[in-house]
Amino acid sequence: MTACDRIEGLLAAYVDADLAPEEKDLVERHLEGCPSCAALADSLRSAGEAFAAFPEIEPSPALVTRLRAVPGRRRFRFSLDFLLKPSLQPVFAVASIMAVAFSLYASSPDKKRIEQAVTRQLHRGYSTFEKLTAKAGAITDSLGAAADSLYASIKTLNPLGKTDKYSQ
Amino acid sequence: MDLETIIRDCLDGKQGAWNMLVDLYSKKVFNMAYQFAGSVPEAEDLTQDIFLKLHGALPKYDFGKSFTAWFLTLAKNTLIDEYRRTKWEKRQRDEFDERLHAAADGDDPERALAREEARKLLWAGLDALPPDMRLAVILKEIQGKKYEDVAEILGLPVGTVKSRINRGRLQLAKILRDRPGIPEGGHP
Repeated sequence: MTACDRIEGLLAAYVDADLAPEEKDLVERHLEGCPSCAALADSLRSAGEAFAAFPEIEPSPALVTRLRAVPGRRRFRFSLDFLLKPSLQPVFAVASIMAVAFSLYASSPDKKRIEQAVTRQLHRGYSTFEKLTAKAGAITDSLGAAADSLYASIKTLNPLGKTDKYSQ
Repeated sequence: MDLETIIRDCLDGKQGAWNMLVDLYSKKVFNMAYQFAGSVPEAEDLTQDIFLKLHGALPKYDFGKSFTAWFLTLAKNTLIDEYRRTKWEKRQRDEFDERLHAAADGDDPERALAREEARKLLWAGLDALPPDMRLAVILKEIQGKKYEDVAEILGLPVGTVKSRINRGRLQLAKILRDRPGIPEGGHP
């Protein structure tokens, strides 16, 4: 770190008269022999004066009107905010797909064929569902039978070898 | 009517109280946004965003704390968030126009000219500072707040704020020092 770097770190506090006496002397001695740091100290003072002279701007009447209308705007925003919930996105996606499908159907010149295809698909789906139900019933029956036979086997097994005195 | 009553009336939904709050703070917030963003349309949109957020956050305000500091912290967060979100897609400060020339400069025309030039350079130079440092410099140097108040608004220790502001001032002073046509060591 050069002497100038060290003095730069103290310059703002020097300009604000916020340095301890020994630091102030150090800076002043350096400034006497360093035109670049002396110019920087002058520029810091100039910047301070120029900033202090920045005027405040009045907000436009149109902006003030907009700001006064914020409570009403927020109520309106609130009423629509729920539409932005991520949980509603799948609903919007399904609704969009259905809307596209319906518009394709509505604009199609061959509506009868579409209706027939849809009916055929519905029937296929229904018969598949019936088959699946029947299969599920059969599986339930076979499971019941297997459970009965297992129960009967356990009953006849008699693992302790005890005999019933009344059965003799 | 005191500020606490105005805020309580705002919470009760009284439009008149909200208008008073707007009258009290719109200039302060608009100028903060303008000095930060550097463009009037941008500053107007930001000011509106800040007041929208204020309206939403008002029920959370702790009456035991300074409302001004709380509100300016909310404004600061909005400005920094918006800057980070958009990186000021239109990174162009307004020309240093007649509204900013309007400050009184005394009678010496040469000095007035030098100061006007310095203001132009500083206005453009603000964009060279990182957003946190820029806001700290604006609050302290342009808005004339104390270090303690700036620290409260920025939510940082006073020492950190001081060094941040001083680094910003130094960076801007170097822009002034190194401008062409001014001899080294010369007074602007």
